[in-house]
Amino acid sequence: MCPFPVHSGEGAPPYSENSMIREGCSGLAKQNQPAMGRALQRRENINGYLFMLPSLVFFVGFVIIPMFICIFNSLTDANMRDSAVHFIGLNNFVNLWQDKTFLEALKNTFIIVVVSVPTVCAFSLWVASAIYKLKGPVLSTFRCIFYLPVVTGSVAVTVVWKWMYDNYTGIFNAVLKGAGLIDKNINFLGDSRFALWCIILILFTTSVGQPIVLYVSALGNVDQSLVEASRVDGATGLQVFWRIKWPQMMPTTLYILVITTINSFQCFALIQLLTQGGSGTNTVMYYIYYTAFKLTEQSGHFGYANAMGVMLAVFIAILSAVQFRLAKEK
Amino acid sequence: MKTISGQNKAYKVLSIVILVVLAILFLFPLYWIVTGAFKPATDIYATKPVWTPSEWVSTNFENLFNRRSAPLFEIFGLQGPTVPAAFRWLINTVFMAVVAMILTCITAAMAGYALAKKRFRGRAILFGLIVCAMALPKQVILIPLLREMSDLHLYDTLWAVIFPTVGWPFGVFLMKQFSESIPGEILEAARVDGSSELRTFATIVVPMIKPGIGALAIFTFINSWNDYFMQLIMLSSGSNFTISLGIATLQAETTIDMGMLMAGAALAAIPIIVVFLVFQKYFTQGITMGAVKG
Amino acid sequence: MKMKKVLAFGLSAAMVFSLAACSGGGNGEPQATASQPAGTQSSQAQPPAQGDTAGAAQEITLWTYPIGNWGKEDAVKALTDAFKADTGISVQVEYLAYADGDDKVNSAITANDAPDLIMEGPERLVANWGASGYMVDLSDMLTDQDRAEIQQSVLTACTAPDGAVYEYPLVMTAHCMAVNLDAFKAAGADQYLDLETHTWTTEDFINAVQALYAHYGETVGAVYCAGQGGDQGTRALVNNLYGGTFTNAEHTQYTWDDPLNIKALEQLKGMEGIAFDASLAGGDEITKFYQGVLKMAFCWNIAQQLDPNTAGTGAEKTITGEQIAFMGFPSESGEPALQGGIWGFGIFDNGDPARVEAAKTFINYMANSEHTVDAVKTANYFPVRSAAGGADLSTIWADNEIMDEYQVLMPYLGDYYQVTSGWAQARTSWWNMLQKVGEGADIASTVASYAAEANAAAK
Repeated sequence: MCPFPVHSGEGAPPYSENSMIREGCSGLAKQNQPAMGRALQRRENINGYLFMLPSLVFFVGFVIIPMFICIFNSLTDANMRDSAVHFIGLNNFVNLWQDKTFLEALKNTFIIVVVSVPTVCAFSLWVASAIYKLKGPVLSTFRCIFYLPVVTGSVAVTVVWKWMYDNYTGIFNAVLKGAGLIDKNINFLGDSRFALWCIILILFTTSVGQPIVLYVSALGNVDQSLVEASRVDGATGLQVFWRIKWPQMMPTTLYILVITTINSFQCFALIQLLTQGGSGTNTVMYYIYYTAFKLTEQSGHFGYANAMGVMLAVFIAILSAVQFRLAKEK
Repeated sequence: MKTISGQNKAYKVLSIVILVVLAILFLFPLYWIVTGAFKPATDIYATKPVWTPSEWVSTNFENLFNRRSAPLFEIFGLQGPTVPAAFRWLINTVFMAVVAMILTCITAAMAGYALAKKRFRGRAILFGLIVCAMALPKQVILIPLLREMSDLHLYDTLWAVIFPTVGWPFGVFLMKQFSESIPGEILEAARVDGSSELRTFATIVVPMIKPGIGALAIFTFINSWNDYFMQLIMLSSGSNFTISLGIATLQAETTIDMGMLMAGAALAAIPIIVVFLVFQKYFTQGITMGAVKG
Repeated sequence: MKMKKVLAFGLSAAMVFSLAACSGGGNGEPQATASQPAGTQSSQAQPPAQGDTAGAAQEITLWTYPIGNWGKEDAVKALTDAFKADTGISVQVEYLAYADGDDKVNSAITANDAPDLIMEGPERLVANWGASGYMVDLSDMLTDQDRAEIQQSVLTACTAPDGAVYEYPLVMTAHCMAVNLDAFKAAGADQYLDLETHTWTTEDFINAVQALYAHYGETVGAVYCAGQGGDQGTRALVNNLYGGTFTNAEHTQYTWDDPLNIKALEQLKGMEGIAFDASLAGGDEITKFYQGVLKMAFCWNIAQQLDPNTAGTGAEKTITGEQIAFMGFPSESGEPALQGGIWGFGIFDNGDPARVEAAKTFINYMANSEHTVDAVKTANYFPVRSAAGGADLSTIWADNEIMDEYQVLMPYLGDYYQVTSGWAQARTSWWNMLQKVGEGADIASTVASYAAEANAAAK
């Protein structure tokens, strides 16, 4: 299926950030080798940058520059009411740690990540292992079905889930009541005991699609001779899985962990369209939007909102790094 | 093959049953959208949920179409006929997703090739920057981006959504991983034969990384179709909305006509689902390769 | 040789980019960017048939919240078409929702692309965007005659403390509540309603809810608090039950932590059949009421009565055809203090006198001319002035029985306190407080801390 050999580095998973940067550095080292003539180097420089140019225009213009402005703004009191911008050092960050709403948003964000990442991984691994041996059409049907919520789009998905969760006329309440499991309707999105979990559930259904596809192919690529050998040695199915298959799928798992983490951090549409941050579902992403654009007394506190953005980016970076570290040690 | 124990068999049956149940649960929201879109008002407003439409009607779509109108297109001051805004939203969305896809593929393929095969100065730093930027959620930089778009007079145009998508470095990274596997000898041979850089790229490199480009194209298309947050911030006129944004706006309005919303959701979801089903094979391949390579 | 080709390629790539950027500008909407000279704007948008229009722009933008039928495209289009026929100025209208309209305006302001005209109430136009310096002072539009014709209290609400008028008012109403009369009858609760005066006492209300709950066994009324949308209803309910106030009379301080309000909240929290619902905002509540799920709605006014849920399926009727009766909020004396709603136009200062001029032309046309009747009728509310452009406005609804009947509530109009400073924070604090109360937090201390939060912003 895949015409290219799986690129595997020595030891480290192929897409560890470290290995990638190291690889880049080795390239840098190579270019200083005397073998490369001056003229050749010049040609490489010019050609390289010309090929990079179209991409760089967009990358620098719409990612790097705003990123730097964001970091700069996070150190100022930039806001909508006052066009003068003052440098206030780390005040925004200090204030963030005293802002109850932010801390709650941060907590919720972490709950979402901590709950959804492992469950998405475990669930998709289970589904993948249950379907990867099925016949082609059956396999692809299942794969499609689990992928559908991803393609349906967050807005369409949210709109329909909002209706299903409805406190008075939603289908969940009707079913639960019909089955005699509850006597009083549950206010899924209006009760802080449930709301966050309801959102995590939606996030979950829109997150498992890609991991399942990935695990199916990873399981298909597991070295069968090793599996056979251990079977002959009398290993049980579970043992085969943990000792043989799991280690071989580690790079896939790592990739899934990272993309799911980033996805969970970005959860915005669900919050904005379902609860507007109420019922204990505020997240950092939503709070950034709220601080920047909602009509409150703090509206348009861009400096503050940018500080949250920087904070979030730092957390994501730390978490990604931790995941790489853990995966490496295993 | 060893004999499968009874326990194993029971587990298999059980897992299939669970899978089928899960599949039904995963399909249900879609079912609810589609049936909801065709339910008459009495079913929609019924206090007990109605499982199948008592009658299939098109009133929800009519309501949706009558609610807002917009010119079918506006190009260089030329206005198309006035049509239901939902059509314009669909056109906008397709335009946005296709342009973002094309631009991303072109720029990323070139840049990825350069990063993989050209030993230019600063390559390592550039690549490091790209990797770091990839982990950053796009939304974090949204306020500076909004200001920037306003300075460029791109605010409230689809370009304000397209350009940041194109700038997102995932594509470059993916293309670099694909380009790594192009044998240097072939490139060298082409150079010796006097092929220009551009020709080498077009005739040798592109065909070799085609599967990667396909994967990237699908990825970009779906992501930009569904990138609600960026659209929300960057677009303000009804005639510039995308379908997602249009539906979200309808939902925000005080009157909540679920039938109409479901009609809108169906309109937003069905085209992309069809695209997905048609290209399903390439799609799953693309995801897998993206991961294996990326 | 080779180098040239590469260079050519690079250039062409750059061209693709610039071309894309260019067509971006062209493809875009008539941009309301301040830097664009009005002349080019109008020559693009319109054939020069309109003659000499040096003073005013030819195309302006209006963003409107759903104020009666001002949220409906076909109704507004009729007005703007007539306006264009008269003045040659075309109006590009965008429709905002209460749920996220503010965010859209704020992001447009951030992008220096605010609309020329905005239609909403003083709590946003005066107390917020006006106070932040984004609006144009309209006081020069008001002649002595205008000032005489417009109700004094309304004009006061539209005027900032420094005397600048940031909103030219068009319509007003008293917010009230509604009951599902058929459901009340079925539960035997209609005995507590006085359908002549449309008022009831707190005791009536409590008895009615009891009777309804006994009959239906489910939530019959919701203290909605998913957001700030429609919060005038919850504020009025809480204030009226035992005569509490929301702000002091000078509008300098929030007083909703007074014991009477706490008593009201405790009462509501303890009532079976009344639920604090953090999944509903005002608009959702109306939908549930319209659906017949809830038996009473606190987010009601005359526009709703005329066209419930703006569904166009008949005045005073729910979806299933049950009778809706509007009521004042219950109070101990039976005489409610109702929340006023005022709506009108404001102009964003985009730095272009020509556009401001055109926007003023629009306001004069809609709110101060013989066409005002249509503009008011489109809003489904009452005019704020006795006459406009020589036309008497006091009897424009005389032929409408429901409107006429609704007049009985207008004398109960209470204090328009929505212009108290820190208002945006107060609204936010209010619904957050209701959520906490709904979750069973200690009422007195919760109320005190959220009122303090609002007062901190009022300083």
